[in-house]
Amino acid sequence: MVKYLRTAHMACLEKTNGGLFYLLPDILVKICTLIPLVFLWRVVMASGVKVGMSMNQMLSYTYAAALLADLLVVKTPATGWLSEGVLLKLYGRPMSTIGQLVMLTAGGWLPTLALFSLPMALISPLLGVRLMPASVWFIPSLVLCVSLGFAVDLLFACLSIKLRNMNWLVGRIQAAIVAVLSGTVIPISLLPLGLGEAMRYQPFASLGGAPLSVFVGSAAPQEVLPLQLMWNALLWPAALLIFKKSQEGMVSYGG
Amino acid sequence: MAASKIKRILRLLAISAKMDLAWLLRDTKFALMGVLGDILANLSVVSGVYLIALRFGGIGGMSVDEVLFMMAFSTLTTGVFILFGSGNNIHISRIIGRGQLEHLFMQPLPLKTQLLTCGFTPFTGGCNFVMGCILLAVSAARLELHVTIWWLLALLFYLAVTMTIIIARAYLVSSAAFYAPVAAEEIAHTAIDGTWQLSTFPLSGMPLFIQLPLLVIFPEGLLAWFPSLCLLGRPPLNLTELYPLAYALVISLLAGFIFRKGLYYYVKKGSNRYVPYGFRR
Repeated sequence: MVKYLRTAHMACLEKTNGGLFYLLPDILVKICTLIPLVFLWRVVMASGVKVGMSMNQMLSYTYAAALLADLLVVKTPATGWLSEGVLLKLYGRPMSTIGQLVMLTAGGWLPTLALFSLPMALISPLLGVRLMPASVWFIPSLVLCVSLGFAVDLLFACLSIKLRNMNWLVGRIQAAIVAVLSGTVIPISLLPLGLGEAMRYQPFASLGGAPLSVFVGSAAPQEVLPLQLMWNALLWPAALLIFKKSQEGMVSYGG
Repeated sequence: MAASKIKRILRLLAISAKMDLAWLLRDTKFALMGVLGDILANLSVVSGVYLIALRFGGIGGMSVDEVLFMMAFSTLTTGVFILFGSGNNIHISRIIGRGQLEHLFMQPLPLKTQLLTCGFTPFTGGCNFVMGCILLAVSAARLELHVTIWWLLALLFYLAVTMTIIIARAYLVSSAAFYAPVAAEEIAHTAIDGTWQLSTFPLSGMPLFIQLPLLVIFPEGLLAWFPSLCLLGRPPLNLTELYPLAYALVISLLAGFIFRKGLYYYVKKGSNRYVPYGFRR
């Protein structure tokens, strides 16, 4: 276990190698997006249209989605492993490849959590946002969301192997699909034209949108968690099997 | 002299277009997937705001069709960006940070000319532009806009100004890559792609302390919201319709000055990003 924690520690330090100063643009952009987004939802919710969520719930949803963005939609270094030399790190060490990927990813979350999520959580009352989970089931739901996120990301990584190293393209498609279908930008239940009901059961809905709905109390945990469990049970074996078969197809020629 | 320069630029654009067509014909499957990726990425950004507007019957005094018009303008901007900026020539911090400026120094062409022409991809990069044109036509028809030649010229003007702001800001922040090539390699990505979603927010109805910083300190309000409202005939906050142009001029001059300074530094110090076995440091 210690060696995995060291891997996470290394990934955390890697993010800050250039100095904390160079993390600031990313953090600034996140803050500058989050604050107007909170006010955008205030303006929208003030219209009085009934959508099954109160303004407070909506603001908490948006705010928590931004603070936990990395966990709600997992992005491992795997899609770039062929072009950016991650491959050499992963297969050059006597440790599980997927275990390393998980720890590299989790370690990479820490600087953002410390420099963006924590301070913004502390100032949330100033923006009129309440960050208190409506149910303790939020924690297991978040764990299942992160777990499913790794499985989904691994499947996309296998796709990048299949597509001969088009990691940039796969990453772009993955980000676009997940942004729309996971409910992290707009809660799935709020989608117009009956899309909300239709999209509730697809696997991406068990990512970010699921724990956020439990967090604000707009969905019952007994409805959300079984779906998350089911998708984990289906996608993890599929991801492991496809990954096992895909490994032989890896071709890397530098970055 | 000017005519021969323009002729040379057109010839170089034609070469870029030819290479783009060659990619499409020789590697059709992957080229089309690239096109699909571009379309999906743009749709995921603009559809969010549009779906909210649709669900709530508008945003902050803007009707659903006005929001659609704004999203069309944003898509059109994305289209122009991809059309002319597919060679990392706008994400310039990548070229600087990866030590690839040397590749450009070796060519018998001015740096500006190469950067202007090397990212032109009309065949694989034109989809968002076409989609933006279609969305704009649909929203203009739904809004019953009186489209005249002057209105079309105003549209071109605002597109040019918006692109100038995007490029100038990207070059301004990318100057950091001259001094810290590894840490700032992706800073243009942060400045361009990281703020794309923010630029699609309709700021109408938001408090002044949100609107003003997004028009003065950060230019996100000038990338879709402000020009769209100007094209709809009601510039926001009683500001002049030429405000985006003034902003573009100021940020361009600043970016030019800072970038040149960085370039002089780079010419003296250089960059060494590659390890012997091929990967980047």
